[in-house]
Amino acid sequence: MTNVLLKGIEKRFGSVEVIRGVDLQIDDGEFVVFVGPSGCGKSTLLRLISGLEHISAGDILIGDRLVNEVQPAQRGVAMVFQSYALYPHLTVRDNMGFGLKVRKMPADERQKRVAEAAATLKLDTLLDRYPRELSGGQRQRVAIGRAIVGHPDVFLFDEPLSNLDAELRVHMRSEIAALHKRLATTMIYVTHDQIEAMTLADKIVVLRDGRVEQVGSPRTLYENPANIFVAQFIGSPKMNVLPADAAPLLAALPATLSPAESVGVRPEHLMVVKPGEGILRGKVTLAEYTGAVTLLHVALADGHTCLAIYDKQEMPEVGAEIGLKADARDLHFFDSHGQATKLRSN
Amino acid sequence: MEAWLFVSPSAVGFLIFFLGPLCAVVYFSMTEWNLLTQQAAFVGLANFEDALLENPDFWHVVRNSVIFALGLVPLNMALALTLALALSRPFFGVVFFRTVFFAPVVTSAIAWAIVWKFLLQGEGGFINQMLAIVGISGPNWLREPNWAMAAVIVTRVIKMVGLNMILYIAALQAIPRDYEAAARLEGASRWQIFRMIIWPLLAPTTLIIMVITTIGSFKVFDHIYQMTGGGPENGTLVLAFYIYQQGFKFFNIGYASALAMIMFVIVMMLTIVQVMLRRKGAE
Ligand SMILES: Nc1ncnc2c1ncn2[C@@H]1O[C@H](COP(=O)(O)OP(=O)(O)O)[C@@H](O)[C@H]1O
Ligand SMILES: [Mg+2]
Repeated sequence: MTNVLLKGIEKRFGSVEVIRGVDLQIDDGEFVVFVGPSGCGKSTLLRLISGLEHISAGDILIGDRLVNEVQPAQRGVAMVFQSYALYPHLTVRDNMGFGLKVRKMPADERQKRVAEAAATLKLDTLLDRYPRELSGGQRQRVAIGRAIVGHPDVFLFDEPLSNLDAELRVHMRSEIAALHKRLATTMIYVTHDQIEAMTLADKIVVLRDGRVEQVGSPRTLYENPANIFVAQFIGSPKMNVLPADAAPLLAALPATLSPAESVGVRPEHLMVVKPGEGILRGKVTLAEYTGAVTLLHVALADGHTCLAIYDKQEMPEVGAEIGLKADARDLHFFDSHGQATKLRSN
Repeated sequence: MEAWLFVSPSAVGFLIFFLGPLCAVVYFSMTEWNLLTQQAAFVGLANFEDALLENPDFWHVVRNSVIFALGLVPLNMALALTLALALSRPFFGVVFFRTVFFAPVVTSAIAWAIVWKFLLQGEGGFINQMLAIVGISGPNWLREPNWAMAAVIVTRVIKMVGLNMILYIAALQAIPRDYEAAARLEGASRWQIFRMIIWPLLAPTTLIIMVITTIGSFKVFDHIYQMTGGGPENGTLVLAFYIYQQGFKFFNIGYASALAMIMFVIVMMLTIVQVMLRRKGAE
């Protein structure tokens, strides 16, 4: 049973505050993804959990044990680095067995563990190669293998796929998902890629500037973002945010607008209609054809631009007038602080 | 043809300033020169024969050079690596310390030797005064053969260690920090991280440092010249200094050239041996 609990975690580097009070509960066997823009403190938070960095304030509990002062190696965690951090002078076998060797595990037991992990990751034929003789995807697998052999209670992944090309990334993503299913170990995974977060996570933690913006399942974050930041970070292309006055033009609303200041609607929820049918009108400035759908850039009369996904055959021409409509259910309202809000019914 | 024209300026420079003197030394080594009458008589391999088979001083001098190298190289490298490990990571004042250890490298060898000669004086020398405070009566460093050898080695190490330190610092900084982080997470101690990861990754640098330091130790001249003049009792008379004596004190240019050729071969062989040891170690 390995849950992870973060209580009021803070981290300063000198006078720079990088993590500003993070509280988080991670349940046993959960796949949790930290997502956020580059530089928001994801790696730092992961390194704090691993013990590679020392927390400035707060408590970390792993498996109900307070580990603030526990050495990294004694925390029962294994980490996969973005750079893979494979030792270049050791073979795949020795890279994977390194941790077991320094922990004085007998050689035969060690070989058994390495062979086991190699079989799991289809590395059997590569055991005697050096890291420089492997492709990016193979190195990635060795890095994961090295984490597996120690049978850790918690896996930590720091942007493990960011050095791979797009196709391999999708493939490795599914392998990591399969690995989690098989091992059922708690996994904490850092990425700046919201698609990776959505596809892998049981629970997503959205970070910005060292603070948690929202925690929830992928569906919760998509359907009920807590604020504009999360609303725009999750989902691609990102959500349109317009002044609240635009809302009644998109859909019939049963309520007054206060206290909403702005309204968000995802590009995939905007319906393109003839100029007369929708009340919100705009002019197409750019049509990006991607095959399955077309992404329309629409300039509204008030000067805002919004994106709409259009999935019908006949394409509106650039410069054409169109109308936009949406379902009232698909509108998100935000107050003057950017926080999600409900309309007061009258 | 055009290509040759383009490289010709540097090729000519190479011929005049590098290959020319080298050929001259080879030729001189087979002559007996009389500097006063300006005449060179061809004597074949007689100079080599004399040095290797007849002159007892020669082997004494080679032995001194070997002792000097055996003392200097390991001491220099161990100290350089220790300093580099301490000074490769940023901390407050790190630049100051690096500068302190590197500064002697760029100071004049003669000035350095004069200062140490002064500090190492038998009576009233600074070093012996310091030793006296802790109740040790220091020897007359530069007047007793064994102590003199130890003294020139140690003072030379202190002068030159900064160079190797910088090379090691550069090599250490090129090792990604993630290696250490990964090893630490896997339970490796600081010593294990050094022994199993850092040291093997430093091997190419260690080889280069070992080779250049060995070569440098055989070529040491100005330091010895100023501190001991080869004495006492020829106790610090090393090969390079002996060559200087033969050539410019006794004007045996031909003999000195032959000695220089022999020194070249010795250093070359040592370098090859070191490279081969590294190859074998890497397997
Ligand atoms: N060792 C460190 N010393 C000083 N600042 C650091 C250190 N590590 C990270 N930072 C800073 O902390 C911030 C967050 O970094 P990081 O956790 O790596 O972000 P992310 O992984 O989300 O891209 C960055 O502004 C970075 O410059
Ligand atoms: Mg990062």
